Amino acid sequence: MASQYKTIHPVKYLRDYLAQDIRPDGREFLRFRSASVNVGAISQADSSAIFKIGSTTVVCGIKAELAAPKADTPNCGYLIPNVELSPLCSPKFRPGPPSDQAQVASKTIDDILINSSALDLTDLCVCIDKLVWVLYCDLICIDYDGSVTDACLGALVAALKSLTLPEVQHNPETGAIVVDTSDRKPFPLKSLPVSTTFAIFDEQLLLADPTDEEESLAKGKLCLVIDGPELCGLYKPGGIPISQELLSKSLEKSKKRADLIRKVIEAAVTN
Amino acid sequence: MQNQLETTEEEECVLRPMNCELNQLSRPDGSAMFMQGDTVVVAGVYGPIEAKLQKMMHDRATVETMFSPAKGPPCVDDRAKETVIRETCEAVLLTALHPGMAISINVQELQDSGGLLACAINAACLALIISSISMKFTVAAVSCMIDRESGKLIVDPDSTQIQQARVTFTYVFEGIKKDLVSCHTTGRFSENELMESLEKCRAASQNIFDFYRNIVEQYAIKL
Amino acid sequence: MPFDQKRINGPEVSVPYSVYTDVNKSKSSKPKKSLHKRVDGREHKDLRKIFVKTGVISQAKGSAYIEVGITKVVCSVFDPREIPNKNEYSLQGELFCEFKYAPFACAKRRIHQQDAEEKEFSLVMQRSLEPAVCRQEFPNFQVDVYALVLDNGGSSLAAAIMCASLALADASVPMFGLVTAVSAGFYKDTMFLDLTVEEEVLCNSAPAKPNPPNNHGLIMQAALPQHDQISEFFLVGSINIDCIKQAIETLTVANKNICPVVQQCLVKTVLRALKRKEQEKN
Repeated sequence: MASQYKTIHPVKYLRDYLAQDIRPDGREFLRFRSASVNVGAISQADSSAIFKIGSTTVVCGIKAELAAPKADTPNCGYLIPNVELSPLCSPKFRPGPPSDQAQVASKTIDDILINSSALDLTDLCVCIDKLVWVLYCDLICIDYDGSVTDACLGALVAALKSLTLPEVQHNPETGAIVVDTSDRKPFPLKSLPVSTTFAIFDEQLLLADPTDEEESLAKGKLCLVIDGPELCGLYKPGGIPISQELLSKSLEKSKKRADLIRKVIEAAVTN
Repeated sequence: MQNQLETTEEEECVLRPMNCELNQLSRPDGSAMFMQGDTVVVAGVYGPIEAKLQKMMHDRATVETMFSPAKGPPCVDDRAKETVIRETCEAVLLTALHPGMAISINVQELQDSGGLLACAINAACLALIISSISMKFTVAAVSCMIDRESGKLIVDPDSTQIQQARVTFTYVFEGIKKDLVSCHTTGRFSENELMESLEKCRAASQNIFDFYRNIVEQYAIKL
Repeated sequence: MPFDQKRINGPEVSVPYSVYTDVNKSKSSKPKKSLHKRVDGREHKDLRKIFVKTGVISQAKGSAYIEVGITKVVCSVFDPREIPNKNEYSLQGELFCEFKYAPFACAKRRIHQQDAEEKEFSLVMQRSLEPAVCRQEFPNFQVDVYALVLDNGGSSLAAAIMCASLALADASVPMFGLVTAVSAGFYKDTMFLDLTVEEEVLCNSAPAKPNPPNNHGLIMQAALPQHDQISEFFLVGSINIDCIKQAIETLTVANKNICPVVQQCLVKTVLRALKRKEQEKN
């Protein structure tokens, strides 16, 4: 009976739950789903991570390649994150070029990484003005059940944290390059940004870590990126206006969540 | 000396001079060319018009946005701006009044000298006001930055100041309670910096709302 | 790489670092060795271990995950929808299959768009699965099947087909039987079963001394082992007829051997579904 009600009247279905101070999956309003991460499962990638929040799943694989640097930044490497929301992960997406949503997700992840200065692009330099590393970070969503930005960032950070790069010998005169794959060095990651998503409903009701169902019916979305004591992103693209108290409340919650996620990632990488 | 310091401090909280031309374009239902300092954006609104079958929603109007950069084809960056503009306008509009219809907002960047996103949102809001589509409230976007060396907060910076920015914020406030509608940030910042900048920008947003009122009044008198 | 306005782009030219590795140091004469004994220690007709699981994607109608050795594939199936851009009524429903390698799944980075090989594999998948699906049950509708290879350790097409057949069953699409698939390869007179990537490359290359008959090639056979039927036979290369006959026999046996693994997984799925139903009732 409940499932028919849900299909016929999704908005009212959710509202009935919220009126009872509970969410359809049995969580309290500000309760997060459990998160887990698995590192290095994909043998063909230079490093990889699978990040799950509830049933939302994102796989990140990093492939390292060599290229010439840009003329205006001769000592900087490249980091190319791309988020793929393929039709595999949800019936919302159709085959073809990336949807607007996927493009915005890619941009957000790229912004967060630059803003958090978690990685120094000069660490990717092999030889100034000649040779730098390019890190192609492909983030593929396998299961789209809300809070995908959080899962993408988690997967990317975990993969970067476990990344090792082989030693490269570059002779600037002859241009000869020799790569020694037996000698791989870990790549230094300076910090560990964690993003948390909230959904906002009428009358300043805040839901932490929304599922896809909640996200699509929400009146607004708020995404906070925490890195240590500081913030490195506050994204709220439109939606219902929020008060100052709501912002403070979400900030406090996301700090606690960030500590937890950081521990989860660090534990997975050290194992 | 003391006096001089105060004046500079005051200047930093002041927005760049704003200017606006309304309904210069003949085809759209409402259009606005909005200038903040040297940043110039044109916005045109069509609507409510017939929605494309794929995007049609039975209970409300769909809001479409096109953001075109000054040069080159739109890329991923522009798509992100477009999304912020669209979702902000969606919050502003009473979409439930026009079920099955579409409202199309086209924003063209002419020149970017800092605060492009804020300027684009303000232009879109003015265009919506002029097109007389029913709105819940008006919105005003304010950008600000924190200087890398001095750590000073500068409201509505221009392109030379932005070069020195450690953090930039763009806030969008609604006109009734001045609650936060949209927010976009770059760089790392502390909680205090966030709250401080939010307060300053909220205060500065009143200038923009006043400007809206003035410009629309003038336009109405001319009619 | 061509500039893609809808993605974040890297530099125009970049080279995988593996091309600069010292060839003499890392690789010995592998191909010759593997003719006698395979790199992973298997016999020539041994299959790798298989792990299968259904119901991995919450948003899909049906989904499955398969691991064959290090090859990892996920597959999802969605609700039937009307066939797009079709005017006349089609009596039989259609399967739309999409086979894709993740950009990081192979030794060389893949581009995001489907390339020619992936398009071909999509069609092979469609041909292998269609005979197993009761298509008359959903006329004028199509069922979307998406397969994504996360890690390519060889035989990913065969793995994707098995994964897709499980996902279809998990989505409760009416079917005549399960589809299993096994790959084989020939190099000179040696036949390998369930190939790894290195063996795929080896079997795809013509032997150095073309002592006639110039035997080399890849075979992928998909079958409905419960009905003793072959649904697809996909061959690349040049193999003499005797070898092919021998291959069909071996592959048919191999398909039959795999079947119980897949069946067991399905039984578990059904039990799980029944349990859930019961819980909902209470």
